[in-house]
Amino acid sequence: MSQKRRRMTRREFLRDAALATGTVALAGVIPAPAIAGQAPEPKLGAQLIGKLEGPTIITDPAKWPKKFNEAPMLAELVKAGKLPSVDKRVPEEPLVVKPVHSIGKYGGTWRRGFTGPGDSENGNRIVSADKILFWDYTGNKVMPSVAKAWKMSDDGRTTTISLRKGMKWSDGAPFTADDFVFWHEDVYLNKDLQPTPHPDFMINGKSGVLRKVDDLTVVFEFAEPNYLFVDILAGSTAMGGGQALQQHAGRTMGAYTPAHYLKQFHPKYVSKEELEKKVKDAGFDGWVALIKNRWDWRLNPELPTLTPWKTVTPINNPTWVLERNPYYWEVDTQGNQLPYIDKLVMTLAENLEVLNLRAIAGQYDLQERHTSMAKLPVFLENRDKGNYDVRLDPALNGSDATLQTNQAYEADPEIAKWLHTRDFRRALSLGIDRDQLNETFWVGVGVPGSIAPSETVPYSPGPSWRKKWSTHDPKQANALLDKIGLAKKDAEGYRLRTDGKGRLRIELTTSAGAFIPHTQIAEMIKEQWKKIGIQADAKEHERSLFFTRINNNEHQIALWANDGSEVLYLFPRHALPVDPVEALLGHPIARWYASNGAQGKAPKDPQLLKAMELFRSAGGKKTQERYKIAQEIFKILVDEQFSIGTVGQSPATMGVRIASRRLGNIPARQINAQHARTPGSSHPSTFYYKA
Amino acid sequence: MLAYLVRRLILAVLTLWAVSVLSFVVIQLPPGDYITSYIAQLSATGSFVSQQEAEALRQQYGLDRPLHIQYLRWMGMVLQGRFGMALEWGRPVSEVIGDRLWLTMVVSIAAIVFTWLLALPIGIYSAVRQYSMGDYLATFLGFIGLAVPSFMLALILMYLGFTLFNANIGGLFSDEFSGVAWSLAKVWDLMKHLPLPALILGLAGTAQLIRIMRANLLDELSKPYVVTARARGLPETRVILKYPVRVALNPFVSTIGYLLPYVVSGSIIVSLVLSLPTVGPLLLRALIAQDMFLAGTIVLLLGVMTVIGTFLSDLLLIWIDPRIRFEGKP
Repeated sequence: MSQKRRRMTRREFLRDAALATGTVALAGVIPAPAIAGQAPEPKLGAQLIGKLEGPTIITDPAKWPKKFNEAPMLAELVKAGKLPSVDKRVPEEPLVVKPVHSIGKYGGTWRRGFTGPGDSENGNRIVSADKILFWDYTGNKVMPSVAKAWKMSDDGRTTTISLRKGMKWSDGAPFTADDFVFWHEDVYLNKDLQPTPHPDFMINGKSGVLRKVDDLTVVFEFAEPNYLFVDILAGSTAMGGGQALQQHAGRTMGAYTPAHYLKQFHPKYVSKEELEKKVKDAGFDGWVALIKNRWDWRLNPELPTLTPWKTVTPINNPTWVLERNPYYWEVDTQGNQLPYIDKLVMTLAENLEVLNLRAIAGQYDLQERHTSMAKLPVFLENRDKGNYDVRLDPALNGSDATLQTNQAYEADPEIAKWLHTRDFRRALSLGIDRDQLNETFWVGVGVPGSIAPSETVPYSPGPSWRKKWSTHDPKQANALLDKIGLAKKDAEGYRLRTDGKGRLRIELTTSAGAFIPHTQIAEMIKEQWKKIGIQADAKEHERSLFFTRINNNEHQIALWANDGSEVLYLFPRHALPVDPVEALLGHPIARWYASNGAQGKAPKDPQLLKAMELFRSAGGKKTQERYKIAQEIFKILVDEQFSIGTVGQSPATMGVRIASRRLGNIPARQINAQHARTPGSSHPSTFYYKA
Repeated sequence: MLAYLVRRLILAVLTLWAVSVLSFVVIQLPPGDYITSYIAQLSATGSFVSQQEAEALRQQYGLDRPLHIQYLRWMGMVLQGRFGMALEWGRPVSEVIGDRLWLTMVVSIAAIVFTWLLALPIGIYSAVRQYSMGDYLATFLGFIGLAVPSFMLALILMYLGFTLFNANIGGLFSDEFSGVAWSLAKVWDLMKHLPLPALILGLAGTAQLIRIMRANLLDELSKPYVVTARARGLPETRVILKYPVRVALNPFVSTIGYLLPYVVSGSIIVSLVLSLPTVGPLLLRALIAQDMFLAGTIVLLLGVMTVIGTFLSDLLLIWIDPRIRFEGKP
């Protein structure tokens, strides 16, 4: 029944897409219902996927504008004498951006939806230009951002960044190397604020050092070669993630922070009595809680920031309102100070259905977060009424629903034995009909295959590795299972355990409330595995219980997206068990890795061990070599099928973009990746209202 | 009477203490803690936190300490009139709840008023005119109102509102008024948004009340005192409203105890579906996030409301029903 209903919806979706594009090829497909559900359909979904494009950063100072303009609302303040003139606010060396389509107009309020104080990433990503370095719109090339330029020494031990002359915090105070020094000495090295050093500022277990050379030059030094560090400064990491991201919700990283403002909350700079009074007046438990609240850009409207917009109404209200930063340091090629849009108003939606319905009604101007792929048909149906366009931004990661086999599983020795058997894992993979999954859960717009990332990523081992052991071949799967000793079946055709304890049952652990319906996907895989005689049980858990079970090493196979694995070195935890926070391939292995062997357990599988050793060696290697090592690691992971990929490179997570037709400079397609801080790399400061 | 009140007061304090222990323990029962759920939430929405950061947060919030220490710490704060920080919200619990409390009470009281205004007259009518067309109609609609889950009604009405009237979806304010200081225009905006939630929340209760009122009144109507009153020539309205209706109100009054917590927490599911900025969704979110200070305080608040409500309804019953007053006295 439900199958049938889904199919109807799909057809409506296709018809809609066809009507919209009106291409001959599509018109030919529609009247032939017999073909529905077959091959040509992914192309139809692709009609909503445009050309990857984005703004360009002009790095040649000769091409920079010499005169600056400002938004009318700021010009008024200047007139009233409440603000210095624009040429005194914009740095002498601004970040110059050529918008993707045209120079914009000032004004307007960007309406969005958010789901509450836990939804910080909704705003964090939009203001992510406060990162030290950033990526261009392809997500592959490092670009300047807060730092004007960077240089790494040949031995990889020191990385120097240069700041922009005349750059200011949002309150007008100068932004200098002292803001880095304050962060390093008084935040990072303060044991109350930062009990343990952070791996992003370490190489092979040794902490780095931050040093001021002059007001505009900062050096990061390491005891050993750390060629990865430029990527870390550009990535969504603890060192390069920027102030907004890395100092929200109790975090302490970010490499710089407004010293002139925060000193009033730090025991080194104010007397104990004074600080205690401040803590008590604000109702906090101690100075640590107070200062962490004061440097949280979402909560404190007084906090000086470097972001294009800053908070006016904090996130813990029914609306989260941001307003332009009068000292923002980014300009377009004609010298207009960015951002174009005056204000952002995010309204609280207590549940995702309401949020999606509001998007459908055209109550949001630009929303790519929480808009669900399953609602695509309805989005398309109402786009003229709501005056918006729908764009899909496929992600780069290989698989949105990855079957992660627990390589440290012990509870049931028989199951553990099979999870450790390569041919068993390969057979499970070959037993999955990825096209059916794609049609049902990704409305045909995903890419079936292994866990290997998109070929546009330098870490990709190549197209053939997307298919390896990752096609639908029940015959070969059955042959593999028969060969390894699972030939005996019961009356219903399910394979039996070799220890005589009945049917072999594999548990698929899933979690509720993710962007992707993992439980339903697991149920379909369970049906597909009947053909290879494997009995699976899908067990859904509440999200935090899901992680608790994984941390307790209780799962056999867990389903989770492998997002972020496309930038393997910056975010390895969804590809390799190296981070105990999320270790789906085995928590004890991750503890072993993170503690350098002091705790946990080494992986039993020599190939997994090899992949992890390769990974450890990569930080000290230069870029090209690092690419090769990453490709090597992905080859091992795909060949061994520790993680079984299904369908990926899809818009499922933050890739269904609802954009008002009144907005300009909206890229036809933007990169959809964590490290690119989507939509951050599209420079939301260049979006504008055409009328 | 005084002794009675004192006894009730001591019992109330003991009950509240038990509620506080229970709520704290129950909230902590699921495996993991606030940090686990924080990590899970981040990962599911395309973000992450490192092991070091997670540990530092755990230490800062005192989650690494044993349960009874955490409870004592919380109680220590509660006794000083502070309720701790809502972890997810980064604000004192009292502020987070306070913001929503007034709106919740407005919505709930609107729903209750709606319910009573509708249910009492209809209930009286269908009892007095038993088995008439009107009675059948009221009974029929009442059963439908009882049977339709209110969250579904909410979804349908919201969808109709969007497709037919292009109305705002969910919430209690239009976009331009949310997050703005109170003004006459904002109150008017609230008034315009209020009928829908009040209707949805009130409808199920209405059906129930109609039935109760009808049954109670039918019991009373056939009693001799009614016949006597009528025989004495009292006007019909007076005969019915002055005596039997008053007696039939008893069950309404005795349920006031449950009405008070309802006023505070409202209906969680309907509030969630309609995206109302009330306490209900806050409680649900706090429970999912294992934010024990926030969830614990709300549960405690509900406990207080139930205790006070029960006490009030006892007093009201004494006032409204002379039979209870004289019971137990020689």
